[in-house]
This record gives sequence, structure tokens and C-alpha cells, in this order.
Amino acid sequence: MRKLKWVLVSVVLGWSLTASAQVKVTMWSHWAAEKIKRDYVEDAIRRFEAANPGVKIEASWYEKTALYAALKTALRAGTAPDFFYAEPDQFEYMENGLLLDLSSLNWSAIEPWAKEAWSYKGKPYGVPLEAWTVEVYYNRKTLGELGVKVPANLQLDSQGFLDLAKKARAKNATPMSLGVGDRPFPGAHLTHEALLKRLGVQDYDNLLKGKLSWSDPRVVETLTLVKTWVDAGVLPTTFTSLKLGEAHTYFHTKPGAAMFLNGSWYTSRAFNAPDQGGQPVDFPLGIMKFPAIPNAACNECRTIAVGGSYVGNAATKQPKHVLAFLNAFATPEMGNRWLEQVLVQTGIKADPSKISGPHAGYFKELAATSQGAKYYFGIPIQVMQGKPKEVFTQVINNAFPAGTITVDEVVKQMNAAYK
Amino acid sequence: MRVSVDRQPWGAISAFLLPAFTVYVALTAYPVLRTFYNSFHRVLPRKGDELVGFANYAELARDEIFWRAVRNTIFWACASPLAEITIALLLAVALYARIPGMRFFRIAWFTPVLMSYIVVGIIWVWIYNYDWGAANAILRAVGLDGLTRAWLGDPKVALPALVFVTSWMWAGFNMVVLLAALHSLPSEVIEAAELDNCGWAGKLWFVIIPLIKPTILNLLVLSFIGKMKIFDLVWITTKGGPLWSTETVSTYLYKRAFEWTTFDLGYPSTIATVWFVIVLAAVLSLTWLFRQRDRLEY
Amino acid sequence: MGAALRWLTLAILTAYTAFAAGPFVWVATMSVRTTSEIALDHYAWPAVWHWDKFPTAWFKSNYNVYFGNSLIVVLSAVAILTVAGAMAAHCFARYRFRGNRLLYFVIFSAIIFPPQITIIALFQILVQYGLYNSLAGLIAVYVAVQLPLTVYILESFFARIPGDLFDAARIDGYSEWEILWKVSLPIALPAISTTVILNTILLWNEFLYAVVLITDDAKRTLPLGIQRFLGDQLEDVGMIATGLIIAIVPVVLIYAFFSEKLIQGMTAGAVK
Repeated sequence: MRKLKWVLVSVVLGWSLTASAQVKVTMWSHWAAEKIKRDYVEDAIRRFEAANPGVKIEASWYEKTALYAALKTALRAGTAPDFFYAEPDQFEYMENGLLLDLSSLNWSAIEPWAKEAWSYKGKPYGVPLEAWTVEVYYNRKTLGELGVKVPANLQLDSQGFLDLAKKARAKNATPMSLGVGDRPFPGAHLTHEALLKRLGVQDYDNLLKGKLSWSDPRVVETLTLVKTWVDAGVLPTTFTSLKLGEAHTYFHTKPGAAMFLNGSWYTSRAFNAPDQGGQPVDFPLGIMKFPAIPNAACNECRTIAVGGSYVGNAATKQPKHVLAFLNAFATPEMGNRWLEQVLVQTGIKADPSKISGPHAGYFKELAATSQGAKYYFGIPIQVMQGKPKEVFTQVINNAFPAGTITVDEVVKQMNAAYK
Repeated sequence: MRVSVDRQPWGAISAFLLPAFTVYVALTAYPVLRTFYNSFHRVLPRKGDELVGFANYAELARDEIFWRAVRNTIFWACASPLAEITIALLLAVALYARIPGMRFFRIAWFTPVLMSYIVVGIIWVWIYNYDWGAANAILRAVGLDGLTRAWLGDPKVALPALVFVTSWMWAGFNMVVLLAALHSLPSEVIEAAELDNCGWAGKLWFVIIPLIKPTILNLLVLSFIGKMKIFDLVWITTKGGPLWSTETVSTYLYKRAFEWTTFDLGYPSTIATVWFVIVLAAVLSLTWLFRQRDRLEY
Repeated sequence: MGAALRWLTLAILTAYTAFAAGPFVWVATMSVRTTSEIALDHYAWPAVWHWDKFPTAWFKSNYNVYFGNSLIVVLSAVAILTVAGAMAAHCFARYRFRGNRLLYFVIFSAIIFPPQITIIALFQILVQYGLYNSLAGLIAVYVAVQLPLTVYILESFFARIPGDLFDAARIDGYSEWEILWKVSLPIALPAISTTVILNTILLWNEFLYAVVLITDDAKRTLPLGIQRFLGDQLEDVGMIATGLIIAIVPVVLIYAFFSEKLIQGMTAGAVK
């Protein structure tokens, strides 16, 4: 009997030892609802596991707000995963030393400005998988019906834009879909792209960082222009409560809008199957640039932002494997694969001319809107912190596009926020 | 009658009190003290607590969002109880006569109170929906189109809209309690008032209210305390927006502790401490204000 | 009462009942209609009763997990609360000892503490002792949260029990424990059932502590589950309505069966 017990013990011991030879690495990520991005990452996981037998990556997919809440508390509690999704506006991770130093990665394969977005005190902390620009998607058929022709340079002027809005409203349609029900940044696109063009890269940067007053006449002029758009009813009446996913379907399915102001990651939801929130098959999608602003310093200026990235947990027990996995992204093949499959820009150095596949046409159009562009890196909430960021979100993202406050109020609140 | 002083079964007493006090000390008393402690520090992960003295308090004094939240919460805690109890009182008096099926009605009136604020919040977000919500649908049906608005999206009406929701929830509860109070009064008094030929309003003001004043005051204080704590309803409907018009101290504290781009728990602890003092002061003043000066004999 | 007055009363009655219960009836009708049907007409009576939505919500949306968690947490917390609260209340009510009123006041005063004063430190404490994101930790916190109210309700009831019963029991040689168990508790059963029902309802619906202290999807309680259900995509009004009904039904059942006791208990506390 005793012998049997020892046999059992050694069997169990032996079994658990061999089982532990397999290393488990945990990951939490956003994009639970964005199939093409998830497929890309899961494919990368499979490749990595094939190349590294004995390592198993366990991925948990979340929706963004739930992910951030879980991470915030888990990082404090010390129960966070080995690596996870993050965006560069989360300074607090870097400030508190919670991220793994990624200096050893192959940075020659990454765009320098993307690396810069993730740098803190000279060291990089994130792999910038996704980069995106703010685009104006439109329904070709609707614009045709409204009698609006998009110029060859893909940019309407502000009067043309206003006319388009009025024509759409005359037909009881919403000119532009946009919603801030569950995100702190979409509403601001309408204003910050206009401000960027009017002020140019340097002064726009100064404005966001509190070095230029919001009472500057150029700023007031631009805000007044945006207000005329808002007052003409360019945005949906349900703007304040419309959620991001809903804003997509508002544009391409029901009730349908002429335009949609969204990041170029539009495809990661729109190219899902229609019953999963994707656009209808054969939807006449077009892309154009943000309208030109009168007296602009730089109408070809546009925002490019690093979006979804992966960062390592400084407290991970598997730093070697985490670094190896993250490094696997830093190759031109992975960059091209991202472009081809996800159809969004990337921070990895890639060659867009090499894209093939069913959506190559879309990608050419996307590249066309960025032709000759001068970039500002980062959306405002990635550049601002603390009280100014909170006030900016409430005022420029929520209240101003909703039409509930005046230009003077905006100027007053924003100026006060930097004190 | 209590056990006489000389024979104290101390063993039994301590045994009886031990479980409750263990839990209380560990999870109520100690956390309160820890929060006070936090409020004087910068509390970050992976680092020790860093003493900053009164810096957090100084920052709090300048924090407009906090004071806005305080004003919103106190407004709510004053307006909602008044609305609830006024409606409840009028209804209780109107329905004083025994009605068949009272038991069924009471279940119906109590239902809003039994639901989680989350459930109530979701239902009212739908009711307040601009396009198809019941609120605007009813206004449009009676031709008052001009009054329709985005109830939860307009900074001027969002807070009153939410106050309406809590009034809706608690009016039924207050009414049931007041009815019970009314029925517990000896009927001779009510009849005597009727004999006196005072008008309906006079009867209410001079006879009924003074008789059930203790109950009314109790309900007011209970309701006040409840609204000062409110979080769930705001969180599920407006999250403090638009433009901080529905920001309450509890939502602002949650955001500073868990949603701002900082891990510091010291500043939110300062918010909690100051708020604690405000709530204590308010409740103490109310109970002092409402103390019974003379009991009505009947 | 004249006939006109009677009609007026009836009118007020119906109007208020519709006002109070209307929203729930509406949600109940939506819970058996699909989202597309609802989108066509939000207020129509269900044409087809889609009862299959309930099993779908239960299994596919993890409601069984959330419901189970809520059940575990609430039943455990209420059980502990009743035992610990009854013991303490009995002690405060029956024994005169130095510090009795002071200790009672210390516990009772916690009723007005706003949750904010403890929530941050509770988070830190639970993390420190490895109870963060665990049902056990949440149960412990719930007990602490509801203890003051429980002790208050029970103490006022225990205090009203005539002292002769105790003297008689003591003369009969009962020990202190037996006095609690065989004399106090049976008589105080109405008050105890009131606190049980009250605590069950309040904790079943509790949200703030749960949202701070639980982040793991497998450990979520029902209110958290519902909140998560408001996903980022198409607002699936039909499914959300079904989920709400699943959450409401237990509470309504408890209330329907125990309404008399509950109302008596709650009103007895408020009516002075």
C-alpha cells in the first residue's frame, strides 16, 4: 500500500514537472470586437508559439474601457498580465515604472516618430503596432444624390462643406455621423483638425500645451467656423450618447449619414461581416480629406497618432519571452501584413506599394488622402495631461460639438484649465 | 430591563461582540483611518507613501470640479427628498381611505425602490432618449414639441432629470411609510379635525402634518443621507457629464482614483476625507434642526 | 365619501401606479421582443413572444455565472450578517455594562458614513491581503457595509422584549448562550427576517464596492454583468431588456412573498 502511494506521488510529481516545462505567458488586449486586428495578433501568437515550442501565450480579449479599468487596478495589485495593450496617452504607466524597458528591440524596423511616441526619458516602452490618421469617410452614392462633387485633391473647402451639410439636412438626413457616448476623443476631431490647419504644427502644439492662449484671434476664428458647422446641424442629434460602434452603423447602415469623421482604423469594424457591425457588402465607400480652412497656415497638415500598441509589464516573470514576442513584430513582413490585413497604417516600417489582396484599392485611396501631408504626431488627449486634458475632453470633445456652449465659453474654460 | 450591574458575564459579552467588532474594526474603522493617513501622502504603486503634508488639501481648495460636484450632490440631497416626500404626503393623504387591493398596489409602488440603480438607470436612459424615449414621445403626443430635448445631454436639465428619477424611485417608498404612519394615528383625531370644518388644506397643514412630523423628519434625513451617497445612477447614465453638470462627489472620486492618468491614491483620499466631514456636518445639523422640541400628546 | 371623490381617488391611484410600475411593464414587454422588432415600434405589445431570449441571455451572455456569483456573495454575507448582528444586538440590548452605549454608538454612527471614506483604503487592504478580486473579499466588505444597519434594527427590537422572560430563563439555569438562542432569537424572528430580506435586497443590487473590488469577468456579480452588457456595439435593446428582467425577477419574487413583513419592518423603523 505504501509502495503504491509512492508510485502515485512520483507519477504526479513527474507529470507536474513536465507540465511546468511549458511556459505560460499572459496577455490582455483591447480589440475584442475588432476581428481583423484580433486575427492579426492571434496569427502572430501562433507563429511565435510555432517558433518557440514550450511557450504558450494566453490571450484575453477585452473591450477598451473594461480593459483600462482592469489594468489600472491589476497593476496596483500586482496581478497584471505579462504584457498588454496600451496607447501612448497612458503616461502614468511610464511615470510609475510599470513598463518593461524595450530598448533591446529591433528599432531600425520602426518609424522614428512612432518610437518617439512611446519614449519616456529616452527609453522606449511600447511597440507601435497601429498608427492612424483622421479621415472623412463618405458615402459616394449619397454625395452624388446631393449633387456634391469631391474635388481632385480630395479636399472640400469649408464653404463647400457647410453647403453639403445644409443640403443633407434639407433632405432630413444627418450630414456627418459622430458620437462620444463611450470615448473621450471622437468629438474633438472636428475641432482639432481645423485648429491644426489654421495654426500649423508648431502653434497647434503650443496651444495644446498651454503656451498659446485660446483667446488668440486665429483660434477664436476657427472655433467660430466650427460653430457654424455645428449650428447647421452637421452632427447627429444623438451625438452625446451615440457610442463608437453605433456611430459606425449610423453611417453605413441605419439611418445612414453622408459622411463619417473617424480614424483610419474604420476598417477594423467596418470590414467585419454585416451582421457583426460591419458595413453592407458593396457599400460605396469613399475617403476625402478634412475640409480646408480659410486663412490656414497649413491645409495639408493632419494628425497621425500611434494607436494600439503592446507593452511589457515591468514585473513580468518572463521578460525574455515577452521581449522576444514583441520583437517579432518589428519586421517589414509583419508591417506589410498589418497593412494588408488590417488596412490601417502602422508604426512599423512597411512598404504600402507592396500591398496586394482584395482591399488593395481601398488602401490606395487611404494613401491618397495622406499624399503631401505634413504630420502632427498625436491626438490632443495623447499630448495633454491632468486638468487641461479633463477640461478639453468635457469641452471640446463633448459640449462644443453638441452645441451646448458658445465659443466664448470654450475659450474661457480652456484658458482657465491651464492655470 | 437589563441585567444588574454586579453580575456581568464578561465572557459571553465579549464573545457576542467579537465577530461584529472584528469586522467593523478591520473593514470600517481602520479604512477610515487609513484614508485620513492617505490624504496627507502621495500614494503610488511600487514606491512607499510620500508625505506631502497639506499639499493635497491646498489643491482641493482650488479644485473647481470638486466644488461643483459638492454643489451638485447637496442640491440633489435637498431637492430629491423634498420632492419625494411632498408627493408621497399628498398621495398618502389622498389614498388614506382603505382601498381594496391595497396589498397589490403597495407592491407596485414599492417596485422602483427594490431595483438596482443600474436597472433603473438603463430604463431611464431609454425613457430619456431623444428620438424614441417615452418622455419626449409623451410630450410630442400632447403637442408640447417645443419642450422636447436631449434630457441627459443638456447641461441645464441633466441634473434635474436625474433628480426626477430618484424622486420617482423613492416616492413610493415614502408613501407606503407615511400611509402606515397615518393609519397608526388614532382615528378620533382625524375625525375631530373633520368636525372642526377646516378646509382640506388646513386639515393637512395644521392637524395631520404635526401628528406625523417625527416620521416625516425621519424620512427626510434618511433620504438626504441616501442621496449624498449616490453613485450607481450617475455612473450608468451620464458618468458626471455633460460638462460636470451631474458630477457628484462619488463619481469624481472614482474618476480621480481609477480613471485619471495617475496612480496616486492620496488626492482621492483627500476628497474622501473632506467629503466625510461635510456629510457629518450636514447630518448633524439636520438632526439638530429636527430635534423634537415638544411631543404632541394624543 | 362622495362618488366624485371616489372616482378621483381611483384616478390618482391608477395614474400613480402606472407611473411607478409602467417602466417595468415596458421593459418586460421588450424582453420578449427582438431588437429589430423594437426598433420598428418601441412601445408595441409583443406580437410574437420570444421566450427563447431568456436561455440565450442566460448562457451566451454569461448571466449564469454572474447570477451564481451574486447568489454566493449575497447568501454568505447575509448569513454572516445575521449571526454576527444578532449576537451584537442581543448583547447591546440585554446587558448593561460600561461602554455599552458608547460601543453601540460607534457602530450605529457608521450608517451615515459615505462609502467614499472607506473604498480607497478597502481597495488597498484587500490587495495587501490577497483578497482583491475575490468573492471572499467582497463578502467580507459587504458584511462590514451592512453591519451598522443590521445592528440598529435588531437592537431596537431586542430591547423591546420584556425582561421578565430573561429573568425567568436565568432562574431556570439557562446559560447566556442558551438565552440568546432559545429566548431572544425565536421572539425576534420578525425583526430578523426583516433584516435578512432588507440585506438581501440591498446587497443583491450593490454596485460601487463590487465595481471597485472585482475586475475578473468570472467573478462579476449581476449588477456588474448588466453594466458590461451595455457593450460598445449596436445597442442590443432587446437583449439588454431580457437581462434586466433576469436581474429583477428574484427581487420581485422575494418582495411578493415577504412584502408584509418587509413593509412592517421598514416602516416600524421609520415611524416613531
